[in-house]
Amino acid sequence: MDATTAMYVAQGIHGLAYGMVLFLLASGLTLIFGMMGILNMAHASFFMLSAYFCYQFQIWTGNFWLALLFAPVITGFFGILVERFLLRKVQRLGHIGQLILTAGLGLIILEGVKVIWGTESKPVLVPTYLQGLVNLAGMEYPVYRLFIIGISLILLIILSLILYKTRLGMVVRAAVSDADMVNALGINVPVVFMTVFGVGTWMAGVAGVVISPILTVFPGLADQVGMDAFIVVCVGGFGSIGGALLVSIICGLLNSYGVQFFSQLAPILIFIFMVVVLTIRPMGLFGERE
Amino acid sequence: MNILETRGLTHDFEGLKVITGVDLQVAEGERHAIIGPNGAGKTTLFNLITGTYTPKGGKVIFKNKDVTGARPHQMVRLGMGRSFQITSTFSRLTAFQNIRMAVLSKRGIRFNIFRFVDKMDDVTRETDEILKRINLDGERNIPASGLSYGKSRSLEISMALATDPEVVMLDEPTAGMSVDETHYAVGLIQRLTEGKTMVIIEHDMDVVFSLADRITVLHHGEILASGAPGEIRKNPKVKEAYLGEMEI
Amino acid sequence: MNKGFKWILWGILIVVLIVYPRLFGIYYTNILVEFGIFALYAISVNLLLGYTGLLTFGHAIFFGVGGYSTALALTHIQGLPLLASLLIGFLSAVLFALILCPMVVRLSGTAFAMLHLAFGLLMYVVTLKLRGITGGEDGIGGFPIPPFSIPGIVSIDMTDPLMFYYFAMIVLVICISFLWFFTKTPFGQIMVGIRDNADRIDYVGFKVSHSKALIYIFAGGFAGVAGSIFALFQNLVSADEFSVLNSFAPIMIIMVGGIASFFGPIFGAGIFALIAELTSRYTERVELVMGLILILVIMYAPMGFLGLVNMARARFFNKEGAS
Repeated sequence: MDATTAMYVAQGIHGLAYGMVLFLLASGLTLIFGMMGILNMAHASFFMLSAYFCYQFQIWTGNFWLALLFAPVITGFFGILVERFLLRKVQRLGHIGQLILTAGLGLIILEGVKVIWGTESKPVLVPTYLQGLVNLAGMEYPVYRLFIIGISLILLIILSLILYKTRLGMVVRAAVSDADMVNALGINVPVVFMTVFGVGTWMAGVAGVVISPILTVFPGLADQVGMDAFIVVCVGGFGSIGGALLVSIICGLLNSYGVQFFSQLAPILIFIFMVVVLTIRPMGLFGERE
Repeated sequence: MNILETRGLTHDFEGLKVITGVDLQVAEGERHAIIGPNGAGKTTLFNLITGTYTPKGGKVIFKNKDVTGARPHQMVRLGMGRSFQITSTFSRLTAFQNIRMAVLSKRGIRFNIFRFVDKMDDVTRETDEILKRINLDGERNIPASGLSYGKSRSLEISMALATDPEVVMLDEPTAGMSVDETHYAVGLIQRLTEGKTMVIIEHDMDVVFSLADRITVLHHGEILASGAPGEIRKNPKVKEAYLGEMEI
Repeated sequence: MNKGFKWILWGILIVVLIVYPRLFGIYYTNILVEFGIFALYAISVNLLLGYTGLLTFGHAIFFGVGGYSTALALTHIQGLPLLASLLIGFLSAVLFALILCPMVVRLSGTAFAMLHLAFGLLMYVVTLKLRGITGGEDGIGGFPIPPFSIPGIVSIDMTDPLMFYYFAMIVLVICISFLWFFTKTPFGQIMVGIRDNADRIDYVGFKVSHSKALIYIFAGGFAGVAGSIFALFQNLVSADEFSVLNSFAPIMIIMVGGIASFFGPIFGAGIFALIAELTSRYTERVELVMGLILILVIMYAPMGFLGLVNMARARFFNKEGAS
């Protein structure tokens, strides 16, 4: 294969990998913001926090897999505490209450990590067998990016199966669309909400861990990716996992190919895309409600 | 002369027919009740006439003008007032402010940003007069959300009337009221709508027969019968439609 | 409170504003200017949020457009008078609001907020990328600040911070008084009506979309004035003015001060300025303190500072707190 094609493929893999990380983050947000309607400005902060946990775990244990396992779980648990003790208390204030609360929380997390870990970038190492390139069908692929794509796909499948094929998923979807009714049926809706919030935060945590070896860990980690995740949820449509997947991949590819073809305009493309979609369809591409 | 007419009015929600070829005729000064079993399409008919929805077919004629598809605010400006089955007042505004909103509209004060509204003495005076007439002067400065159910229903009805419309459309004004409240509301409606044309949707047959001088029966989105109360009472088709659903 | 007492209060306020720089020096004078700018900005947002019930995540668009157009006008037009540069800031923001109007007036709730987030982000990135016009990351700085002059009568140097303070305060007080008046007019009633029950507004005979458009234009225009004064004050505009944070700032100010009152945002802006000033003396972690305060406010005092004041008044005087 000639060099140009190889470069396009490599760009594609990069874009896809970023898109999938974005999807992990955004699908967590689509659960929380899209389905439950909780405006969570701190979602990306959890993502960043998890990357720091990952870094810390690696310092302690030297093991990436342990970090991948535990950092998101701790982050998810932290999310549950936030839902239980903070967000639930401001429910009656609606979106504005959630905005202020989670924005405040985001500030605290941001400043907190600066106090604990300082402002410089921290490296996260992946096991040697995940580094380097692998040769498949005559082309070279970066192993770690394939790993990211793989792990995201697995999570996507599990999430969709749980949400759309199990009784639990049915309860969650019902609780989200009509909380009072489901409550009346004897299901503990607050617990359902707390769990969904925890799972959403956990997914942000997974995204934070898998991206940390690529971007390293630093306080500004949440800014760009977090904004992109919000765009994905809004454009994909509130509560739509499929929409989030599609728009994440579009975002990722726009990012990597955009840089190549029109480097100046690349970041603008995503926002123009968002403005156009939301102007025509305020509920997003696959959303059913505003 | 008919002040309000619909000709072959038709509407559906995603294929589900709710109004089919309705020819409603309301003469000027008439007190016209629309009755019918639940789901007959009464509120939809109101929504089509007052501009909530644009009808899929047919025409709405108001004061000899084709107003099919006019928006709600245009209908109000043409002289139609409407109240809602589910109370729809401005919850955080006081009773006074609620009524004043309608008084401002009636006087055509819309984009006025040059005068203190509180210093428009004629508006204040007229609003207070209305409050007195509907016996809400004691609750003048209480937010609408803090009024008793009966009082908030009075406010709801009065807001439809405060723009001084020629035709008032009342959607179940006595819904959810106790017997005493209903009795009071009927008196209020009679008093306030004197000299006006009134179209009223009502389930309570006592209310219908004490207020209306013409009745249209709607059933499955079509007009089953229309006539004076006496005729409707005796109409066999009406009895059949209501059988088991309502006492008549 | 009787009328005479109110006039005395106003008189005291004006005297305090006049002698303030002499009492506290130029450092605190500048803090007061910044406070005033953000008070006007937050009040303009509160027209949408508190009065009309529209949550926006992109009002920084108008603040930024006001600032940039003033800065650009002063950079490129020789001898542009001060008030004209201010007017350009106002009119550009109004123009922008007019352009956005047809797209946003149909919306409310989350869709309204999110579409504004999108527009805000777009403006932010475009500002960064159009280096030739906007100066990219560097922004536009060092443009000439014209004197305030009435030809043949007076010419006051506006690079003197003290003089600029008086000028900014007069403009801000005029703008804020105007907006206060705006909320007290018949149209102000329609605004709160839309917030309470937009559907019913239609059935009273007002056209919701037109009314929303007018409010939107006012809210945009006066945020533009705030941005314009900010540009003159700093002698610099940067893309940060379009940032999401700058869209959230007035919302936070409103919530901290009190959403239910016209004057809430003024108190909010004051509290924010005070906290920033006080905490920065003891710690570098100003944002940590801000975060904590936001959480405490929303959990324990959701009606903000003025809400607390009203509650305290009701408790001590055993009467209904007035808003």
